[in-house]
Amino acid sequence: MSAPGPLDLHGLRAQPSWRAAKSHLATAAMILAVVAIAIPLLAVVWSVVTRGIGVVTDAFPEFFTAEIPVVSRRKGPGMGPAILGTLLVTGGATLIAVPLGVLGAIYLHEYGQTSRFARLVRFMTTVMTGVPSIVMGLFVYLTWTLRFGYSAFGGALALACLMLPVVIGSTEQMLRLVPATLREAAYALGTSKSRTILTVVLPAALPGIVSGSLLAIARAAGETAPLLFAIGAATAYNPNLFAEANTALSVQIFGNATSSFVAAQDRAWGAALTLMLLAFVVTFIARKLTARFALER
Amino acid sequence: MTKPLVFGALTLLLVAPSGCRKQSGGSGAVGEEVTLNASGATFQQAFQEVAIEAFTKKHPNIRINYGAGGSGKGRQDFADLVVDFACTDAPYKAADLASLRGGEMYYVPNVLGAITVTYNLKGVDKLQLSPEVLARIFQREITRWDDPAIAADNPGVPLPATGIVVARRSDGSGTTENFTRYLQLAAPGAWKLNAGATVEWPADTQAGNGNSGVAQIVKSTPGAIGYVDLSDAKASGLRYAAIKNAAGNYVEPTLEATSAAGEGIAVQDDLIFSALNSSAPNAYPITAQSWCMLYAKQPGTAKGAAVKAYFEFMVTDGQALLEEVDFAPIPKSLQDKALAQIQNVQVP
Amino acid sequence: MPDELPGGVLRGPQAHADRAFRGIAIGAAALVLLILGMIALVMADRARPVLAEMGLDFFTSKRWSPPHEKFGALPFLFGTLYTAAIALAISVPVSLGVALFVTQVAPRWLKKPMIYLLDLLAVVPSVVFGLWGVLVLSQHFGLGRSFLTAGIILGIMITPIITSLAREVMETTPAAEKEAALALGATRWEMIRAAVLPHSKGGLVGAVMLGLGRAMGETIAAALVIGSALGQITLDPFAPGNSMPAVIANEWGEADHMHRSALIALAVALFLLTIVVNLIATAIVQRSMARSRGKS
Repeated sequence: MSAPGPLDLHGLRAQPSWRAAKSHLATAAMILAVVAIAIPLLAVVWSVVTRGIGVVTDAFPEFFTAEIPVVSRRKGPGMGPAILGTLLVTGGATLIAVPLGVLGAIYLHEYGQTSRFARLVRFMTTVMTGVPSIVMGLFVYLTWTLRFGYSAFGGALALACLMLPVVIGSTEQMLRLVPATLREAAYALGTSKSRTILTVVLPAALPGIVSGSLLAIARAAGETAPLLFAIGAATAYNPNLFAEANTALSVQIFGNATSSFVAAQDRAWGAALTLMLLAFVVTFIARKLTARFALER
Repeated sequence: MTKPLVFGALTLLLVAPSGCRKQSGGSGAVGEEVTLNASGATFQQAFQEVAIEAFTKKHPNIRINYGAGGSGKGRQDFADLVVDFACTDAPYKAADLASLRGGEMYYVPNVLGAITVTYNLKGVDKLQLSPEVLARIFQREITRWDDPAIAADNPGVPLPATGIVVARRSDGSGTTENFTRYLQLAAPGAWKLNAGATVEWPADTQAGNGNSGVAQIVKSTPGAIGYVDLSDAKASGLRYAAIKNAAGNYVEPTLEATSAAGEGIAVQDDLIFSALNSSAPNAYPITAQSWCMLYAKQPGTAKGAAVKAYFEFMVTDGQALLEEVDFAPIPKSLQDKALAQIQNVQVP
Repeated sequence: MPDELPGGVLRGPQAHADRAFRGIAIGAAALVLLILGMIALVMADRARPVLAEMGLDFFTSKRWSPPHEKFGALPFLFGTLYTAAIALAISVPVSLGVALFVTQVAPRWLKKPMIYLLDLLAVVPSVVFGLWGVLVLSQHFGLGRSFLTAGIILGIMITPIITSLAREVMETTPAAEKEAALALGATRWEMIRAAVLPHSKGGLVGAVMLGLGRAMGETIAAALVIGSALGQITLDPFAPGNSMPAVIANEWGEADHMHRSALIALAVALFLLTIVVNLIATAIVQRSMARSRGKS
């Protein structure tokens, strides 16, 4: 051993090792993944913004309030009835699917767990997420539209059927992640099961539940096929949820973007921009609200 | 049909106040608000739009929603009484006629439209095609533009040695149905794919969604050829070919030629006819027709009166609106027959 | 979890409320079975004509020609599976990477904006993805309308679903476990492998299953970019193909009687396919869980 001189700290530093390199590689791979998803995201958002912003600002705010031109090749605003329709249909679907979905997930995780019934429901929920939106539309057409005609409510039912399995699936995942200790503490204090779920478990899982529900709502707002079968078509405002045909932004986007006429295409991109803004605002508000109500993790 | 218990309970709770399906109108008093729902052929959607606009301007208390969605959907909606009227490029098949819930119905022809054969070939401003060559191109038997068969239709025109890219519809379409039916009629020996809204196109063809989708493929692909209705072809700035008709003349899809295809054709008692492959000398051979349908006995007073009035409008004053959307009016004799048919409609 | 409180049975109004709540929860869960059951019944009823005519050949035949009344679903079954597989192959690694980045690597100031950006991706309507796919992927990059283009679009569409759920799951990894790994000298990647991934495994599988369901059931976007070719069963990703939801969406508007019955039969086929795929996936997961449990 050499004579101890001033402390040689270099020798104490960890040697560059394969483990550290692996960790850096993993981080690089993660960054690559972020870039990989950022590119199409930005490209799509860029497309929508650049094509839609001109249309919306040209006739601001008429674009959001004016009725849809009957003759689609004519230039001009707006998308008012479609905005109202989307709100009615998506709002209705959310009011139906989210409470039912959360309740269903509560049953699956808190009560049923591994019972045969619960396992069957769990399995069928995953199967249900694979039902194409157009099949839901056909189903609602055959069971609802045939009996009650076109209405925003029929559309809401179709979208709720699409949303339900997603809400159940994601909510159950989140409930699973709530530590058992939280529940046991509540029981130890004498709280009934239902009370525990409502006041302890749900708030703890709230951010995750909201995330899952937002995903379901976002999908519902963008769906086209089921609405074609359930709400018909309209160019004027129809605030009635239960009667008469209606329209929605997603339907308008599809119909107009596949037109040969520039005026219609312009309105389609304006509608796409509007839908994205609308959905983004809802997401933003929802996340802000949950931050207030959730239990700190 | 299945009776959903949960839905049943929900619906009773929620629908009872607003009543069941709004088929009944009211007393039919003038000025009463009426909304008509319709769906069906996209082929005549452009005409429906301008007709609805003009008609509702004259009758501000009537609102009409035309949801398009395809002739098949229109026929189904109409049979199920989900809509008040529907438009279709083809009549009901016998097996489906029995399912009409509203009873007897009338076909009312209202438009004639040209299906153009658009192409993208630099340096070739005028292209002529006969039905046999057309059939063989779309079946991918002729795959290059300088094929002798195409040259035979175009004497003296230099054709490049480019490969042909065939553009066709990805979605089921009345336009496809009429185009393939034309090929069946005009080139029965050459065309093997039968006729229908969807046919077994060869795998090496390009598929576009809607007329605009096909137009977009043709516009952006050198050497492409596709069938597009006149309205979309003009809107996309595409060139179209002159097609050899049954009389042996190469005719371009002008509105005069389209109208000519409607002259002198055999019309059935129920006003079903076919303008395809007309033998009139200056007729454009790929001329398609379309009808709107309404029930002979209208279920409601206000709605029934509105439907009847609109149909009358479509075959009289409405015919003047066709030119601006690149359609041709039906022959006068047919307009009269259609009007007489509509007069027979009974409104309670 | 105790159904009753330790110490005895509940009494009084609280007991009724508790039981009522349980009843509502059961009802909500049963709704899934009810709706699916109705869908299956209604679809099967409408599919009967074509199945009566073609029997099981419907599922094994390759030829689809409505004018000749020949309906074979096999190419569409293949197309649905193939595009879903491509979508998962693209989406799962990317989603995992992004979720790990957001939860483990990203500095605090970056996290929130990233979450909102991912939300933005989720709210893009599917029809817009389809249109973008046609304009950019098909045309600009020359990928044409093919299995690959559809797979890429589907992959992009399901990434927010998998990422969002994976992120939520990873966030709940107990800090104690992470800190323990780090205290023992683990690198960040080793800590992830030791603490985050094992904790998240179940949730990740659930997230992927949801994404898979969406990939198999996506209608409009697939219909616009998949190429709508008939009879194509090939592993060439650049070939145009077709998928069941795309065929149903494309051909429904003009179909009548037998054709319509065939399209509904396709829906039934997709239903059965989803069940089979889910059964296989569940079996794989159960086996791997059993193996890992056996190890520990």
